[in-house]
Amino acid sequence: MSPTNPTNVADVEIAAEAETGADHVVNKRLGFGFWVSVGWIVFIIGIAALAPVLPLKDPDANFLVLEERENPITGRMQEAPVQPPYAPSGEHWFGADQDARDVMSRTIYGARVSLTVGFAAIAFGIVFGGPLGMIAGFVGGWFDRAISYLFLVLLSFPGLVLAILITALVDRSLFTISLTLGILSIAPVGRLARAQTLVFAEREFVMAARTLGAKPFRILTKELLPNVMIPMAALALLGMAVAIVAEGGLAFLGLSIEKGSTWGKLIRTYTASSGDLESSPWMAFTPIGCLFFTVVALNYAGDKLRDYFDVRELML
Amino acid sequence: MVLLLVGVSMLTFAAMSLLGDPLFNILGPIAGDTENPQNIALQDEAKAQYHLDKPLPERYVRWAGDFITGDFGVQFSTDGQPPVLNLVKERLPRTLQLMVIAQILALAIAIPWGVFAASRANKASDKVSTFVAFGLVSLPNFALAVILFYIFAIKLDWLPDTYEATDPFWGFTHGHRLIQLILPAFTLALPIAAVFQRLLRTDLITTLQEDFILMARSKGVSKRRVLFGHALRPSMFSVLTLFGINAATLIGGSLVVEIYFRIPGIGTAIVEAVLREDFPVVLALVMVITLAFVLLNFLVDLLYTVLDPRVRS
Repeated sequence: MSPTNPTNVADVEIAAEAETGADHVVNKRLGFGFWVSVGWIVFIIGIAALAPVLPLKDPDANFLVLEERENPITGRMQEAPVQPPYAPSGEHWFGADQDARDVMSRTIYGARVSLTVGFAAIAFGIVFGGPLGMIAGFVGGWFDRAISYLFLVLLSFPGLVLAILITALVDRSLFTISLTLGILSIAPVGRLARAQTLVFAEREFVMAARTLGAKPFRILTKELLPNVMIPMAALALLGMAVAIVAEGGLAFLGLSIEKGSTWGKLIRTYTASSGDLESSPWMAFTPIGCLFFTVVALNYAGDKLRDYFDVRELML
Repeated sequence: MVLLLVGVSMLTFAAMSLLGDPLFNILGPIAGDTENPQNIALQDEAKAQYHLDKPLPERYVRWAGDFITGDFGVQFSTDGQPPVLNLVKERLPRTLQLMVIAQILALAIAIPWGVFAASRANKASDKVSTFVAFGLVSLPNFALAVILFYIFAIKLDWLPDTYEATDPFWGFTHGHRLIQLILPAFTLALPIAAVFQRLLRTDLITTLQEDFILMARSKGVSKRRVLFGHALRPSMFSVLTLFGINAATLIGGSLVVEIYFRIPGIGTAIVEAVLREDFPVVLALVMVITLAFVLLNFLVDLLYTVLDPRVRS
């Protein structure tokens, strides 16, 4: 077909152009996917935060369905509960689980805990790892070497093992889990902060501030911090995704928060027997879907944000 | 490198010593008794036997000395003290089998996939492949395990759904562990393959711009031959680096996968040991894992020189 030919040629040219550019394609736009991701994140945080206000079913209530059945002993018709789990219906959009509880509202209430853990963990990592990395990068010398070594040890330690260790030995409260994952996120955050500080500490504007007699504290907070914050925002999104997944992994091993439900815990209970998984897969796939979309959205938004600001950094 | 091992072992040692009380594992409920003088005597005796009455640094040095000479200590348990080494010997091969199969699968998927994506860079099929890769990377391994299990073991019933440690390894029926390991190995391999593929694609696109590729193409070498014969080898560096770094991810992933597929390997052993507060076992296993990680990265450094002679100088 003749109309396809020109577009093909154009495509090839664009492809060739993009290939030569490889990773340095200047793309100043965050793109449609970014806003979809942000939309989903806002949406899931919104319904999780508003869960008690929204007209949701009680996540702990049993919605047994009764049916007329013949009693095998007396031979009379009488009302008896149908064996749960129930398939999705108008009443329960995503079905009901083994105890006839509404899967959708359990998943939404699970989001409250999962998202809190994710947010708290990365916030902890940034509050402690960020300054530590920045100071190490700025001061240099033995302090830098000691901190870098600490980060290296933390990074090469199998994180999940440490998390299991702490949760098994201390307790399984929301606080402990968040703290554990927070400690684990110190090293990656700190390394990024250190690397960024090292890069920017060489820049002219820092030199200028120094020449003008600015104190180290002022340089750190006024000159370096704003520049470190940008890549940190991207890392925060990625880190939140990692923390949510890590909590899910812990929950899947049966080592997460004891009170309330989280996505990982729901997936664990809904997949505990392969019979349940076979007969009623919607139970497991609802929290899996939510978890997946949230992680994809966080990763994608984080990636885009990083690309976006890396480009800006190159142009500076 | 040695410093790293020392750091990791100290961290584990300190965490476990500060957070738990191993006496309960040795003596059972007697350990909680502070009234009965007979029980207190028993506690003191056990403490002396395991050097638990010594200060922390001394216990660490004792343990480290034993560890270097190959004595991993004994398991803390109320019924006898089997050596930790036996446990490691029993469990390690299973985990290694799983990981080797997973890595082979990952490379087997990633290399053709990456070459395919690079040769069609920025076309629709490449965009789809990037999209799929992104999804796979974002999918938590426990979710992937459930999905694969649901599709291949339950719905299609192609693969066995149980792992029997007593079954023979080599063979191609559901009664052989090689086949039983495919599903868990795929769970581990798919996200890794996706990461490898993306790296390989980026590297290949860069390599394909080089003059020697143009030279080969203009000599009339077929496109396929250029891709696999000329471009692939110099493009493997990032993948190789990640191959080493990924060991840590693989270990974390294998914990979850081993538990879900009920494979009695190192991962299962760690979870069990942590739950029993069996310190020597946890410590030994963490050290084995870290050691493997360090060695693997060392091997990767050596492999660089094989792949690119220019690094040798």
